[in-house]
Amino acid sequence: MEKAPQKTTIIGHLKENYRLYAIAFGIVIIAELIGTIQFSVGSALIVLYPMLFAIIISILFGKDVLGFLKKKEAKKASQLVLVAISPFMAKIGVMAGSNLPELVNVGPALVFQEFGTIGTMLFALPIALLLGLKREAIGATSSTNRDKDYGLICSKYGANSPEARGSLSIYIIGFLIGTTYLGLLASIVASFDFFHPLALAMASGIGSGVMMAAASSTLATIYPAYADQIVMLAGMSDMLSAITGIYFTLFISLPLVNKMYTWLEPKIGRRGKNISHNKSTESRISQ
Amino acid sequence: MNMSMKDWTISLLFTSVLTAIIANFFQNDVSIIESIPGVLILSSIAFIGIFIAKLVPFKIPAVVYVALTGLLLASPISPISDPIIYYTSLISFTAPLTVVGTLAGIGLDFKAFMSQSWKMIIIAVFVFTGTFLLQAVFAQVFLTVTNAF
Repeated sequence: MEKAPQKTTIIGHLKENYRLYAIAFGIVIIAELIGTIQFSVGSALIVLYPMLFAIIISILFGKDVLGFLKKKEAKKASQLVLVAISPFMAKIGVMAGSNLPELVNVGPALVFQEFGTIGTMLFALPIALLLGLKREAIGATSSTNRDKDYGLICSKYGANSPEARGSLSIYIIGFLIGTTYLGLLASIVASFDFFHPLALAMASGIGSGVMMAAASSTLATIYPAYADQIVMLAGMSDMLSAITGIYFTLFISLPLVNKMYTWLEPKIGRRGKNISHNKSTESRISQ
Repeated sequence: MNMSMKDWTISLLFTSVLTAIIANFFQNDVSIIESIPGVLILSSIAFIGIFIAKLVPFKIPAVVYVALTGLLLASPISPISDPIIYYTSLISFTAPLTVVGTLAGIGLDFKAFMSQSWKMIIIAVFVFTGTFLLQAVFAQVFLTVTNAF
């Protein structure tokens, strides 16, 4: 990011990154050896994919727990996520291209379900206020707070604002919780047998490729007959969220969440308590 | 993305390409030789998409161009759609994902995660539940209204 890529030779590139590649490769092998594990809890089918094991193992090996990897390599790894996910997005594109009539057929529903994003504030803002949060709640509940949303909140309210602190918290927690939890949530909701598999597939696209992958692979296992369509629609929904998400947050979610805040806060907000514990995190992140 | 295409390609080779072939063997018993064309096709589509994203001035995430490239090349108007669909169908969509989880996990700031308050964790759960459920409701309603099942 900060330095221009000077080493353009393949050898130079490998010298710099071979440790990261080797460890990542090792973790993939371990995760694949564990394989896919599924079990039922009540009527919900819980599916644990190698990807989830890979996340857990790599956090263990990572810089903060066992420390096999250095801070620099961790930073490089997060940059490489976008590189590594691109063949998966290519696969989704191919699936969509080969099922084009199907995609056109569900197109309107695919577009309109994006408005379901306001569910973040409808569910989470009252809870945040009941828990005693103030302006942090606005950042935290205006969207799922993926990278671009956090950037948007920062540029609108300032990086040191309570809004940005709230957004950053959900951004940090979101990855771990979102990825593991969304698969679980998909299983549980699917077990109600109320939604059509394709509706659940569309709901999985929330603007984060990794989370969408976790939810849609679970759904594909639960509904094998719809597997391809599920992955295709989840991917397309995610793509749509990726394109429209930031505008949605800016023009719809933020004004709405602010209105809801002024209306709800005096009613259910807790007086005189303001959480400030996030400040330490903030300074650590922004260093 | 501010990586050069060369760095991008080497990175892809040592992350997704290598591991997707192996993962496809572990997950689906597809032999390594059989997986190679499909993985290379997906990687080429990714390459084209990222390259287009570099040329086009619109600020849309690069993966969107990747998906659109795949869509176009596999759609009925594409003269090479048949081989693309055939070879990539041998690669399960979960095969390229394990390394994505790995890199994301390595990159995760676990300390920052642990320093978050329990309140924020509860709120995060509601954030994700809320968006998932309401999107499912909207999708269900519009699929029903447009008779698209």
